[in-house]
Parts: sequence; C-alpha cells; structure tokens
Amino acid sequence: MHRETIRVLIGKPGLDGHDRGALVIAQALRDAGMEVVYTGLRQTPAQIVSAAIQEDVDVIGLSCLSGAHNELFPEVVRLLKEQGADDIPVIGGGTIPEEDIPFLQANGIRRVFTPGTPTSEIVSCIRELVAERRGEKPAEPVMPSPKKIAHVAIAVRNLDAAVRTYTELLGFRLLGTETVESEKVRVAFLAIGESRLELLEPTDPSSPVAKFLETHGEGIHHIAFEVEDIEGRLAALKRANAQLIHETPKAGAGGHRIAFLHPRTAHGVLIELCEPHGEVDVHKRQA
Amino acid sequence: MAGDTFDTRYASWKATTAELLKKVPERKDVFTTLSGIEVERLYLPKNPDEAYLEKLGFPGEYPFTRGIQPTMYRGRLWTMRQYAGFGTAEETNRRFRYLLEQGQTGLSVAFDLPTQIGYDSDHPMAMGEVGKVGVAIDSLLDMEALFEGIPLDRVSTSMTINAPAAILLAMYIAVGEKQGVPADKLAGTIQNDILKEYIARGTYIFPPKPSMRLITDIFAYCSAHVPKWNTISISGYHIREAGSTAVQEVAFTLANAIAYVEAAIAAGLEVDQFAPRLAFFFNAHNHFFEEIAKFRAARRMWAKIMKERFGAKNPRSMMLRFHTQTGGSTLTAQQPDNNIVRVALQALAAVLGGTQSLHTNARDEALALPTEESARIALRTQQIIAYETGVADTVDPLGGSYFVEALTDRIEEEAWAYIRKIDELGGAVAAIEQGFPQREIRKAAYETQRKIESGELVVVGVNKFRIENEKQPELLRVDPAIAEKQKAKLERLRQTRDNALAAKRLEALRKAVRGTDNLMPYILDAVRAYCTVGEICGVLREEFGEYQGV
Repeated sequence: MHRETIRVLIGKPGLDGHDRGALVIAQALRDAGMEVVYTGLRQTPAQIVSAAIQEDVDVIGLSCLSGAHNELFPEVVRLLKEQGADDIPVIGGGTIPEEDIPFLQANGIRRVFTPGTPTSEIVSCIRELVAERRGEKPAEPVMPSPKKIAHVAIAVRNLDAAVRTYTELLGFRLLGTETVESEKVRVAFLAIGESRLELLEPTDPSSPVAKFLETHGEGIHHIAFEVEDIEGRLAALKRANAQLIHETPKAGAGGHRIAFLHPRTAHGVLIELCEPHGEVDVHKRQA
Repeated sequence: MAGDTFDTRYASWKATTAELLKKVPERKDVFTTLSGIEVERLYLPKNPDEAYLEKLGFPGEYPFTRGIQPTMYRGRLWTMRQYAGFGTAEETNRRFRYLLEQGQTGLSVAFDLPTQIGYDSDHPMAMGEVGKVGVAIDSLLDMEALFEGIPLDRVSTSMTINAPAAILLAMYIAVGEKQGVPADKLAGTIQNDILKEYIARGTYIFPPKPSMRLITDIFAYCSAHVPKWNTISISGYHIREAGSTAVQEVAFTLANAIAYVEAAIAAGLEVDQFAPRLAFFFNAHNHFFEEIAKFRAARRMWAKIMKERFGAKNPRSMMLRFHTQTGGSTLTAQQPDNNIVRVALQALAAVLGGTQSLHTNARDEALALPTEESARIALRTQQIIAYETGVADTVDPLGGSYFVEALTDRIEEEAWAYIRKIDELGGAVAAIEQGFPQREIRKAAYETQRKIESGELVVVGVNKFRIENEKQPELLRVDPAIAEKQKAKLERLRQTRDNALAAKRLEALRKAVRGTDNLMPYILDAVRAYCTVGEICGVLREEFGEYQGV
C-alpha cells in the first residue's frame, strides 16, 4: 500500500483551453520525481473525480483561467465527498483574484496558487499535503537534512591572539583570514575535518559581533550548516512561521550565499544556513 | 522586375505613391519634429545595392518588408480595436458604445466559451462559463441585441470565433439584413483559424478535415457575397501565448496559412480569388527589437510564399495584413500598474513593425476582465503612441538599422527551417496530428518557466523588485445571475419561434453536410429561423464527430 512515488492528477475543468500553466506544472512535478496524470482539456468535475479515484492519485491539481473556478473547483470537492474520496486533497490555480481565495478554501480547496507562483512552491506544497495524508509527517522530512556543519564560529576580542591560541596551543591549521565588510568582522578560518572553525573579531563597534561580545563575552557565536537550495529552505521556514533574520540569502565570506535564523527559532542557538558558491574549497583558499 | 535598377524602382514607387496621394491624402501636408525638422515619408540608404531591393524594397511593394502601404500611418493610423465582451449581449453592447464614444475605430467581439465551443447556455458543459470570458450568444436574438444602435455599414467588426465561425458570421449577415445593410457592405474579420486551436488555444469542436471544409466554404461564400470580409485571421497570437518563441510563432502561423491556401486550392478556388482576404494576427511580446523584426520577417516570408509557392499574381495576395495584440501572458498579477508600461512598449513594437490594427491589453488582465477604467487606459496608451510620439510620421522608421535588419534575416532563416520540417512531416495538419508544434511549444514554455525560476529571465515585480502586502485593485465581476438570464431567454425563444421551421432548417443543413454543397447558405437559413448555436453545432457534431486532443 505504501508507495514512494507521489501521484498527482492535473485537471482542466470546464471549457477553458489555456493549458500552458497546467502543462508546465505537470512537467515540473515530473522533474521533481512525481507521477502525473493530465486529464486534457474540457473535463467535467465528475470526469475529474472518477479519473482521480481510478488512477489512485494522492493529490488533485485544478487549473482554470476562464473565471469559472468558483463554480467548478467546489464541485470537484463536493463530488469527491459524495464518492467517499474526500481524503484526496485538492489544490488549484489560474486567473484567480485574491478575493476569491477565502471562498475556495472554505469550500475545501486546500491551496490556491495565483499567477507568478514558482513551481518549486507547488512541489513542496504537494509533498506536505501527501505527507500529512499518509500520516507520516516527519518520517519523510519535507526538508532534506543539512549536508554538514560548515563551520562553528567563535567571537573573540583579539583575532591575532586567538589564532595563536588555536594554532600553537591546540594544533589547528590556519587556512587564511578575510575581512567581511557586510558583517564588519575579520575572520580567521581553521581546518577541522571537512568543517572549519571561524574566529570572528569585530572591526567596528556597530558590528553584530561587537554587540554579542558586549552582552555575552567571548564564546561560541553561531553554527553554520551547509545546505542546498537556500531559497527553497528559507521559503519553507517562512511558511512554517520560523523567525528569520534574513528572508533572502546574502553574500557571506568566500562568496557563499548565507542567511541567519533567529536564536528563538533553534532553542537559543544562532544558526547560519550556507549554500556554497560554486566549487570553492576552503582547503584551497589562499592563506 | 529583376534587373531593374534602384533608380527605376524608386521612380516607379514615387509615381505610384503620387497616384495614391491623389485619392488618399496623408494626415498632414507636412510632418515635422517638435524642433520643426521636416520628417520625410521614407528614408533610404545612401548607396543602395541589389540586396536592398531584394530584401527590403519599397513600402507597398514586394516583398513588403517595409510595410504594405506606400504611406503607411502617414495616410491613416492603424485601427484601434479593443477586444471586449462579457455577460449578456445588452451589457456588451453598452461597453461597445462606450468604446466607440472614446474614439475606438473598430469593434472586436469576445465570445464566452460555450458560444466558442458550440454549446447553448443551458447545456451542462456550460456550467460556470456563461458570459465569463466574453459575451454569451445563443441565437440571432442575442446578436441583434449585441449590435443594437450600431450601424453595421459604419463599423468594422472582428469576431474571435473559430469552430462555429460560419454560424456567427451568418448571424452578423442576418443582423445586417434586419438593419437594411446588404452583405457586400459588411466589413470585418472572423478568426476562423482552427489549426491554431488544435495547437494552442483549445476551442476546437470538429476533426481537422470537416473543419477545413467549413473554412473553405466560408472563403468561397464570402468571395461571392461578402467581399469586404476578412474570412480568416491566421493567428500566431495564441501560439505565442502558449509559450512559443518568436521564431516558432512566425513559422507555425505561416505553416498553418500554407495549409489553408492548399485546402482552398484543392476545393477548386483560384488563389487570387481568396488570398487577398486572408488576414493575420500576431502577438507583441517583451523583446522589443525581436518583435519588430518578427513582423517584418513575417511580411517578407508571406510575400515569397504566395508568389513563389502558390504563383499568386495579385500583389494583394502577397500582402501580409495583420492585427496585433500585446502579450497577455507577459502581464503580471503583481503590481498590476506596471502592466501599463509593458503594454505601451509592446504596442510601440507593433507600430514600429507596421501593424494594421492593434489591441492593447488592460493592466488588470492577469486578474480578471478589464474594468471600464483600465480598458480606457489601454486605449489611451495607443492614442499616445499615435498622436504624441511621432513614430507614425515616417514609414518603417527602423528599416536599415543594422540590428533590426540582422534580426529580421535571422528570424526568417530559422522560421524557414521549421516550415521545411513541417513540409517533411506532410504539412501543418499532419504535423499537428503528430503533435509536433505542440511539443515544440511545450518545450519552449517549460524552458521559459525554468529561466524565470532561476532568475535568468527577470520579471519585474515577480522574481525581482517585489513588494510585500500589495493592495488588491478593484476588479470587474461578471454577474453570476447571467447564466440564469440566458437560460430563461433561451426558453422563451423556444416557446415563441416557429419550431417547425427551425427543425426543417436543421434537417436541410444535415442533408447538405452529407453532400458536397457549400454549407454557408444552409447555416444562414438556420440562423434566420432562430436556430441556436448549440442546435446548429449539434447537427454538425452528429455528422462530423468531435476532435479529441493529441
């Protein structure tokens, strides 16, 4: 009964012939590893419901650009209920004014996507709905695990002194130093396995690290996790109401794209998400 | 005219133009810039060569690259033709009169989907769709209300109708009869382009073969009885909206046009008898120079096709006359006022490309049908281009630009490659049946989406320069009671009309369908007896069968 692959029915209810959106989304879902059944044009709600049941799909996606969504989408939900198949979630999209969305949601449409929605958002919505329906919420986490600890950052008052401690006393190898203007810090990188330690010294009293030193004194400042698709992850965190310091990625040291999550999100730890820039390898960095 | 020198061609063009000016003077005696510099009718290279004559020539002459008339917009501006229609015929009639009062110069009717697909408003398939994307027309009664108070001998009307085009044209002729306007005084266009429906737009009914018969019947009927009517508007617009590139838009449209010409010749028509009434319809998309080049390339290619492939003799058969609509799919739901700027630039490209008529989209069309205010701004946009910018004061102002000419050549070259491929597949109809253009368009559409999502293609306000918590604009809502009104009207009609006569006319049509007669007179008779769109298409569906998508 349990299958890995998600099956989605993309339906065009009514007489609307605009299928560019439906076809693009079908292809995007296939590229995301899903199986897609596309009904073709001019399907009645009854035909869509019977195809969904017959094809045993996990989700129904409806597309309508003719303005008939308020009539046709709820009819699909009503017929699903009538057939006892209303556990199949229905989502929809098209030329749908914002003001119609509450009505559609009240009539059982789980999500409504308006023009300009990236297909990645629809992919993650479908994954969430399917996970919920299969009752396996975290079993297959919606977000892939971060790949590794990119670095642990330690706030220090005097970088040169701290570097001497870590290299001469503790035996770390210094990879290099860099000044990150945007954060107003000077950073020393130390190798440890496939990760690094970063020692941070503020270059200006207005630097966030200077403020950290004022309130906490020296010590561990943040942990950075290497991730893929930083935008997608930030969007998902935002949807889950996580508190973000940066909603979109910015340039960090080494040209990586980074964003910080507020410590309130992760039980008192300041977390940095870091998507590596190209093939830069820290071990090859010029000292 | 091979072997003619530039000087003799130029002298002959000047003579033709002088003759034309006697009949049709230009808008002004002298055109000047705001500094008072005189703007000439036509600018030419200092040292013209053979290639200039061959590729560009003179406006109004083969190969028409620089335009189809010698004076272009100096003589007459393009027709400003805003596509409109929603709800009942009475409501749309009010919008039409409003647009005419605002200085619009031609009408363009949008029909609702049940009308376009040949269902009456009370058919179960019409659920939720009545009056939504256009006006609901069930019978001649509705058509009479649509043109109430609009004299058909004084407007030209374009109707976006394809599978049931013969029926709506017949209704227009019948309204003319009631107004006392004979058919040979009627001017306008029916879209009537079924091939692009299979490829991109989706409002087909019948399979290709009987559809082509209906189309060639219309060609033949109109050339005899409605000579000023554009019998088809061969459309790249929807191909582009479905996601094609500019090259594909030109190529697939011209390939479809070739198929129509071949069908008409096979039906026994002379090429010069119907070809002058073929019209085209293109999209004006975002890439400013590519669009201008596309229009110019399409004109040159069509001229060659008609002359070389079909042996047309009449220059009017070789002229690609076209309507343009700005690209609906380029409009964004986000920050909708930005769409006004997009539309202005697209419209400017259409004008610089030499369009004969133009529809400018309204800013709110990614959200709903336009409100009266946004429809007015859309019309004003073209009026600003026409009356304030001066771009209409010289012919083909970008002709000779290294960039535009190189793009024009390149689009032509790539479009010929597609046309050769379609010829290899057995022509447009066979290619469509094999799903070839559909697949090519799908690939291009998906590629565009990926580029938007990766940020490679910037859409202002969507993947860059976004704002949060936008205020939603006021939108036009179609009264949901319209379906009920339309159903009640149909019921009244079926009680009050001569039902025996209606049934007789439908049976006569059925018999004609089984034979080889031109179907137009039978359809016209059925329409006059108030047979509905659904009833007439019902007979045709039973006899022809229905097309199933590829």
